[in-house]
Amino acid sequence: MKNIIPIPTLGLCAVLFGGCASINDPSYGVQVTEMRADERGFVAGLGIESQDLVTIAEKMARGMLNEEAIANAEGKPNIVIEPIINETRFPIAKDIFLTRIRVALNSNAKGKMNFLARERIDVLEKERNLKLSGQVTGGEKVQANEFKGADFILTGKFQGISGRGKAGASDYVLYTFQLLNPRTSDIVWEGFHEIKKQGRDDVSYR
Amino acid sequence: MNPAWAISVLAPVLAACQAPPISRAPEYSSDLVVEGKRLIAQAPAKDKNLWRLRVALIALKEDRRKEARELFDQALPPAGTVLSGDATMKRARSLFSPEEAKVFYGEPYERAMGWFYRGVIYWMDGEPDNARACFRTAQLFDTAPKSGHRGDWILMDYLDGLASAKLGSDGGAALERARTSAGDIKLADYDVSANVLVFLQYGYGPLKKSGGDVGEGIVYAGGNSLTQSAVVRAAGRHMAAPALDDLTFQATTRGMRQMDWVLARKARVKKTADIVGEVSLLPGIILTQPEGTRDIGLALVGAGLVAKAVGGSTQPRSDTRTWNNLPQYLAFASTRLPPGKHPVEVDFFDENDNLIPALSRKLTINVKPKGDTIVFVADK
Repeated sequence: MKNIIPIPTLGLCAVLFGGCASINDPSYGVQVTEMRADERGFVAGLGIESQDLVTIAEKMARGMLNEEAIANAEGKPNIVIEPIINETRFPIAKDIFLTRIRVALNSNAKGKMNFLARERIDVLEKERNLKLSGQVTGGEKVQANEFKGADFILTGKFQGISGRGKAGASDYVLYTFQLLNPRTSDIVWEGFHEIKKQGRDDVSYR
Repeated sequence: MNPAWAISVLAPVLAACQAPPISRAPEYSSDLVVEGKRLIAQAPAKDKNLWRLRVALIALKEDRRKEARELFDQALPPAGTVLSGDATMKRARSLFSPEEAKVFYGEPYERAMGWFYRGVIYWMDGEPDNARACFRTAQLFDTAPKSGHRGDWILMDYLDGLASAKLGSDGGAALERARTSAGDIKLADYDVSANVLVFLQYGYGPLKKSGGDVGEGIVYAGGNSLTQSAVVRAAGRHMAAPALDDLTFQATTRGMRQMDWVLARKARVKKTADIVGEVSLLPGIILTQPEGTRDIGLALVGAGLVAKAVGGSTQPRSDTRTWNNLPQYLAFASTRLPPGKHPVEVDFFDENDNLIPALSRKLTINVKPKGDTIVFVADK
């Protein structure tokens, strides 16, 4: 008995454990890490994420405030922030980018800039018209052309290059921002940030 | 008291005590979205996305955009999500669980369709740039199939380019890609002034079935559609909408999945264990009869039983859960109409261009003064 039992049992076990080992190899799924644009590695999500938003907003705010036209401006230049142009494959909530950049600029600018709520112009016009028509109080204080014009317009564009194959997926996103002088069309300042991410789904989804 | 009388009284009383409790029939409504949400709530966590996608599409067909948006947002992981590190994925790969133990996200054609519909909803919401992002993500799911069929969704590229053109960029490259994928089907040049965009879908999409010796493969039962084209009429204008994308084609040109290798190994283990069990068991039983070979026989019987148990417990079955209310074909048409209410007629035609009268329908659309008005029409 002692000499006989191990033969078929061991054979069977070898087959079974061999199968288990190959199937349950942990290398099938790859954990996610963040990396620089020029770095190879695997990441958590390939899309535009909150940490990107914070990094970009802070970096752009610093870059803009160091710009001579802003730093040495007389008085407080009026700035209009235009909606982001998103050309990537990632749907984004554009308002949150604008809000985060404005907050970063305001907190760093220490009163050097004045932001105009141009994206709310419909609401502002409606309120002004209500006042002027006498439907609400305060019309006597309203004068023509009180809405300020912009000294600078901040624009942003996100562009991406995406790839996907059996080895995984990668996404490169270039974030560019420009501060424009609407009177002269000069690009007063330009800044960019770039992030490349790559990752691979678990084998069960490949 | 007469015992017979007592027994005859007690017996029905006791029997009544043992009768199953009478429960009230559940109340169902005729609202498919409400009933769908009930199914989502009842579904196990791994299947909730499947039900969300099914119900989201029903909501979209019923013009209940808000509910459709919410359900798609719950079902689709954010674009760029890397699916890894989930315990259900480990179970799906393990020997003793079937593939469908994992959370449902669908095969690439299903994921692409999820993003396609999400893009349509973004466009309805007046966000063509985010719609374009969705169409690009959808197309990207088709970049790892059989060579020659990569990124060949026609409508994803066409709409990508149309959105770009409307946003003031150049959509030419995307249009060129769409035309290459479309082959003989003629795609109209972009008309950026077209403010009514009609998304159409025809027929029933493909279904997944188990294939292979022990169910380790996926085979597709092709979808079907009597409708091959449609004509949309509004304000004296005719818009032809031939079938563009074929979902059965997209599903079946995906090529071998990497998970198929895992399932193939599982199938080998199962088949080997079954063979070992069959080979060992009967000779083992025979050998237990003579005194001299009883030890060998018992060993073989033991090994055979273990092998049978392992073979029976191994689960190589592929995941055949299907988003089963997808269409067979996608189509698109666009035109320019002045703002306000307009009656719209949609006629559907078979492959011989014969009208299918039973499917014809009349709609009233309200063209927005600003931006695009999106119309979604399904023949089923």
